[in-house]
Amino acid sequence: MRARYLTALFFFILGTMFSTESSASDDAAKLQEEIHHKGWIVYCSRADNGTWDLFLCRPDGSDKRNLTNTADFEEAAPRFSPDGKKILYRRLDKGSTINHDKWGFQGKLTICNSDGSDPVEYGGEGEYPWAAWSPDGTQIASLTVKGIQVIDLASRKVVKEFPRKGIYQQLFWSPDGKWFCGTGNHGGESWTVVRMNLETGEVNALRSFQTCTPDWYPDSEHVIVSSRPAGQPANNGYGYTQLWEVDGEGKEQKLLYGEDGVHIYSGAVSPDGEYILFSKCPDDGGGAERSGGTICLMRSADAPTIGGPSPELRKVHPDVKNGPVIEIDKGWEPHWTYQEISVRP
Amino acid sequence: MGSLWLACSQEPNTGEDPEVTTRGSVEVTAQLVEIRGEFVNRADYDYAFVMKYKVLEVHRGKVDSDFIYVAHYNPEKPRDRVADERVSDVGGTLQKFHAGDIHRMALETPIDDYFMGGIINRYFEEYKGPIYWAVWTNPVSK
Repeated sequence: MRARYLTALFFFILGTMFSTESSASDDAAKLQEEIHHKGWIVYCSRADNGTWDLFLCRPDGSDKRNLTNTADFEEAAPRFSPDGKKILYRRLDKGSTINHDKWGFQGKLTICNSDGSDPVEYGGEGEYPWAAWSPDGTQIASLTVKGIQVIDLASRKVVKEFPRKGIYQQLFWSPDGKWFCGTGNHGGESWTVVRMNLETGEVNALRSFQTCTPDWYPDSEHVIVSSRPAGQPANNGYGYTQLWEVDGEGKEQKLLYGEDGVHIYSGAVSPDGEYILFSKCPDDGGGAERSGGTICLMRSADAPTIGGPSPELRKVHPDVKNGPVIEIDKGWEPHWTYQEISVRP
Repeated sequence: MGSLWLACSQEPNTGEDPEVTTRGSVEVTAQLVEIRGEFVNRADYDYAFVMKYKVLEVHRGKVDSDFIYVAHYNPEKPRDRVADERVSDVGGTLQKFHAGDIHRMALETPIDDYFMGGIINRYFEEYKGPIYWAVWTNPVSK
C-alpha cells in the first residue's frame, strides 16, 4: 500500500515538473512570437573570422546576419540612430581587446547605414570618446576630460560644451533632449550613475555604489543600470551584478533581473519600453574582453525576475514574477529599433 | 648590523629628477600622512585614490594649505608601471605607498581637468577643497 502511494507521489511530482517546464517553454514561445516582428536588434559578437563584427537579428534571435563581416577590424558597441537609419559604433584595429570600461575611448567612431552599408570613420583613433546620438540624430555628445561636447555631425563643429561634473564614462542623451546620464564620481562615491540637467548643468545621483552602464527608457524619466549591491554573500562576498531600473530623481529603485552565478550587463530597453535586453556572463563587466555574454530578452512587466536557483537573491527579493527570458545570441551591447531595415541577405 | 651600516651609509635622496621637476604645474615635497582605508584590489577596474599629505616644501607653483589631498592612479601599482591606455602621462620611481613616507611629486589641479575615471575619496565629507592629481611621484629619503 505504502509502495503504491510512493509511486503515485513520484509520478505526481514528475508530472508537476514536466508541466512547469512545459509551461515555461510555452511562455517563452509566446514571448518569441510576440516580439518576432518588432523591429531589429543590433549587437556585436565574435564572427566566424574570429573578430568582433556587428550583427543584426529579429528580437527573437531569428534572421541573424553579419552586418559588417570585416576580418580586419574589431567592431563594438553599436547604437541605432533615433530614426533607426544609421548605426554608430567603435571600430578597433584587428586583435585589439575591447575593454568593458574603456571601449568609449577605444578605436575610431564609425557610422554606417542600418543595413551595414557605407561605413564612414568619423574620427581618428580615440576621437569623439563615448559618442552618443542626440535625440534628432543630427548631433553627437562626446565625453572628454575637459567636458561634454555637443558636435554637429554635418559640420563637425562643437556647438555646445558642458562641464562633465564628475561623469567619466558611458554617456547617453535622453530621448526628450533634456538630460544626459552617465557613470561618474558623485558625493565622494565613484561608480555612481548620475543624471545631468542640460539647462542648468546640475547633476543628481540616480544610484550609487558599484553602478554603471546606464541607458534611458523612452519616457526620459527612467534609466536602466547594472548594479552590484553590497552585502551579497555569494561569489566570496563580491556578489553578482544585477539589472535595475531607477527613476530620474534616484528615489525609486527596482530590480529588473538578477541571477547568482552571472553578472548582468548591456541593459537596453525596447523603443516602447515594453521589453528589456541584457547580457549575462560569468565574467564581471560583460565579457567584452573575450566573447561577451548571452544576450537575453524579457518583458518589462515581468520584472523583477530572477534566473536560476539563486537562493541568496531570492531571499532578498521574495516577490519575483519569474517571467520568461529568451536567449538571443552570444554577444555584447545590444540595441533595438522598431524601424524596418531592408537587410541584405 | 650590516644592513644598519648600509642604511646609514645611503645618500639622502631628494627625489629630484628631470621628470618631477618639469611635469605638472605644481611640485612639492610632502609627507604622506594617511592612507585612509584599503586600496581596491581589483585588477580590472582603474581608479584614483585620494591620500592626505603634509606639505614640507613647495618647489614650483602655488599651494595654499599645509595639508593637501592628492589622488594617485591605481595606487597598488609601482609608479614606473602605472601608465596605461587610460592614463599615459603618470609615473615616477616610487614602488609602494606607506603612510609616513616622504614623496616628491609633480601635481596638477583640479583633478577633473586631467583624469577621467573613478575617484575614491574617503575625505569627501570633511574636505571640499581641490584634489591634486599626481603626475609624477618619487620617494625621498633623508
